[in-house]
Amino acid sequence: MDEFQEILQDFLVESFELVEKLDEDLVELENDPEDLELLNGIFRVAHTVKGASSFLNFDVLTHLTHHMEDVLNKARHGELILTPDIMDVILESVDLMKALLETIRDTSADAGIDVSSCVVKLDKITGGNGEVNTPVVEAPVAQAPVVEEVTPVVQEDEPDYDNMSPDDLEAEIEKLLQERQSEDKAKREAKIAAGEKVLSAPPEPIEENSSPKEEPKEEPKPAPTPVVPVSTPSVQSKPKKEDPKAAAPAKRTPAAVEQTIRVDVKRLDHLMNLIGELVLAKNRLIKINDDVEERYEGEEFLEELNQVVSIVSLVTTDLQIAVMKTRMLPIGKVFNKFPRMIRDLSRELDKKIDLELAGEDTELDKSIVEEIGDPLVHIIRNSCDHGVEMPEDRIAKGKPETGTIGLKAYNEGNQIVIQIDDDGKGLDTEMLKNKSLEKGIITEKEADSMSDKEAFTLIFRPGFSTAASVTSVSGRGVGMDVVKTNIEKLNGIIDIDSEIDVGTSMKLKIPLTLAIIQALLVGVQEEHYAIPLASVLETVRISKDEIYTVEGRSVMRLRDEVLSLVHIGDIFEVERILDSNEHAYVVVLGLGTSKLGLIVDTLVGQEEIVIKSLGDYLKGIEGVAGATIRGDGGVTLIVDVVALMQMAKNVKATPLSEVPSSAAVSTEKTKASDYTIMIVDDSKTDRTIMRKALEPMGITLVEASDGQEALNILKAGDHNFDAMLIDIEMPRMDGYTLATEIKKYNKYKNLPLIAVTSRTGKSDRMRGVESGMIEYITKPYSADYLSSVVQRNINFKSEFL
Amino acid sequence: MSDKLKQIINQQSEQQNDDDSQLDNVVQLVGFIIGDEEYAIPILSIQEIIKPFTWTRVPQVPSYVLGVFNLRGAVIPLIDLRTKFGLQTKKQSDETRFIVMRHGDDVAGFVIDRLTMAIRIDKSDIGPAPDTVNGEDTIIEGVGKQEDKIITILKVNRLLERDF
Repeated sequence: MDEFQEILQDFLVESFELVEKLDEDLVELENDPEDLELLNGIFRVAHTVKGASSFLNFDVLTHLTHHMEDVLNKARHGELILTPDIMDVILESVDLMKALLETIRDTSADAGIDVSSCVVKLDKITGGNGEVNTPVVEAPVAQAPVVEEVTPVVQEDEPDYDNMSPDDLEAEIEKLLQERQSEDKAKREAKIAAGEKVLSAPPEPIEENSSPKEEPKEEPKPAPTPVVPVSTPSVQSKPKKEDPKAAAPAKRTPAAVEQTIRVDVKRLDHLMNLIGELVLAKNRLIKINDDVEERYEGEEFLEELNQVVSIVSLVTTDLQIAVMKTRMLPIGKVFNKFPRMIRDLSRELDKKIDLELAGEDTELDKSIVEEIGDPLVHIIRNSCDHGVEMPEDRIAKGKPETGTIGLKAYNEGNQIVIQIDDDGKGLDTEMLKNKSLEKGIITEKEADSMSDKEAFTLIFRPGFSTAASVTSVSGRGVGMDVVKTNIEKLNGIIDIDSEIDVGTSMKLKIPLTLAIIQALLVGVQEEHYAIPLASVLETVRISKDEIYTVEGRSVMRLRDEVLSLVHIGDIFEVERILDSNEHAYVVVLGLGTSKLGLIVDTLVGQEEIVIKSLGDYLKGIEGVAGATIRGDGGVTLIVDVVALMQMAKNVKATPLSEVPSSAAVSTEKTKASDYTIMIVDDSKTDRTIMRKALEPMGITLVEASDGQEALNILKAGDHNFDAMLIDIEMPRMDGYTLATEIKKYNKYKNLPLIAVTSRTGKSDRMRGVESGMIEYITKPYSADYLSSVVQRNINFKSEFL
Repeated sequence: MSDKLKQIINQQSEQQNDDDSQLDNVVQLVGFIIGDEEYAIPILSIQEIIKPFTWTRVPQVPSYVLGVFNLRGAVIPLIDLRTKFGLQTKKQSDETRFIVMRHGDDVAGFVIDRLTMAIRIDKSDIGPAPDTVNGEDTIIEGVGKQEDKIITILKVNRLLERDF
């Protein structure tokens, strides 16, 4: 059973691959019915599928393909001219074949699809135009003889058709294989004989075996022809399956013969995940390297470390690209189905349309290739239905009777662009606006202020349809808005350009991969967010008074434009605990034609981030596209720019400049121990000296051994500090940095910071003042002096003494 | 050969079933304190118990969802059970732990005040949730009776269910 399943899997994979190419080939064939090579290729597909399916006992499929083969065989013998009507039947049969294959994939059986009408049609074609040996609808009983019958036919044909090169090739290969095989056999026997004579002495003591077992052992030893005996039998084993497949593409595009290996997608996904982890680790390494560099400036080992870090970083990036490439598929896989679609559509709509494909080799991530198909179908259907005019209209306009739809793909930076052009009637902005007004999609005012570009995007609004009447192809008012959502799901954007009576051009810009993106990291208060760099147009530093308010909205002037602004803190409900700066940064986000300025407190930098899902529990949070893990192990949320732009419309702006400062917690001091002071010094001795000096006052003392610890204690909020004594030279975080950090918080604005240090330089004092220290005590000091400075700064009531 | 093999395999699985049925009467739980109450969850639904560390706030969620944290490369939601149970928030102490629970593919971390112990409890000692707790919708699996106290056993799948 398992073996059968395995064979079945192989059969399905192979068949689907073959059928995928079939559509394109058939349409091409219709244009050029004389192309024997194409015809042979198509015939071979039918033949291969028939052979394999009869072996697997899929009677219905065998029945169908057998008759297809008959028709195609006639055609390639020149006994049948392929008219569009015949093509219709053949295409119908190909569709049936696909349906059957899908049924087999789902149910492992080919029951439930009626092929008889199509078979009758196929029969008629063979019967009506060629010899009269019409086989009356063969019951599936005749399976076994059919295979036998056909194989000799192919071989018999050879002498008559010398130009039929692929067949010659097949026969030639067959012959050569046989010759070689016998040669090899002879050689091998000779070798064995020789080997036994020469080498019998050493192997014998180990084990004395029968000859079949020794055979493989000894083969590799004589070096001259090691490859031949291995490779020949493998090719030989299934010539029927491999040869037609390998030979057909080899003929047309010699470059396409590449050595490939099939890999389970799951394995690639796993590999991609691992690479993601590696990228995170790399980011972390870079961060650590920066820290180390800062701390051990000028040390010799730094250079070595730097080298290693940059090599690791380089290799990781290369590795990531390499793995990404393994997941890449040519977009031709999607494009393949369009020639057929255009053909069907043009017949259905009575229009004449040509499809020009370009850039089929452009590669995209597998997951994107899978998602991009449906949107493209919609767009192309739309172009056929609404874009390209009827032939008589085209002639009246002086255009060629046949319309052209161009479909091309190319790389542009980190993105793939898929461009769909048609030379149809173009989009009429006035008509679009009127339509939207009628349907209540936009208001009169919006319509007036709309640019042409904005008007084009109206076709993506839900409920919009430009077709005057609903046709079976389009016009149901669904579709284009779905296209937009689908493309945006892929982090892509759509760009439309159109000119009346010249045509419309749509560009889909899609990122190369979904898993790893470049992001701009921004900070707001104490939080960080990542914004996909693809949506960032620019960043600007502004001062607060450059922000104006119009109708309750913040706006700013950016060159000659007015840009509406929104504070990231208002969108993500960030609590404002830090004192806001005089300056802010505006990240200008662009999505298609709309723009938005996002106010942030700081710009952290650009980083490569790995997108992780927030999981089921937290999915669907508006404005958050996912999360990533940063170099320091923390989690940073990724901004969903599309959603953010929507949210920005409903967010009320809070004034940037003045945040209501939390009322200072000034609890009445009733005893000396109500006063709390933090001592920050890395030296235990110094801390003890300070403690000894202040203890007589009876106040509460808390100690910290460096700036980071002090900051953590402060943030924890377990104590209400009245003052802090801070040493300057400390590991992890020095006194200046600590003071600067503390002063960022509104509620510590008035907390007295007293420097206690042995640094006596004037510049040191200046730095102290700059960072917000109000007193500067130099070591050594007397206990009384320290105590009096502290008392003065905390308004210590003398009665407690 | 397969007949013999099958026999042996069958015998083995029967033995195992016997073992299982003996064990089936006893439930292993892990107990923890939130506020003044002791709660417990089945030990098998616990992926790990870790000491608290930093997390990232997530906007637009109820206050009991503290945010997300990084558990060896996976981004996992963190839920404060005190807030969820309507208790005052409390500062995290040395005894605070994150219990990472798993049910199927759902994983989340839960903040608890402190752990008590692993408990083996006989199935017969577990009573149904009190009637006052409304019907099917309850988060309580049952009430375990110990010698000197009772323990509320929680439904892990309900804890991991998104209810906003």
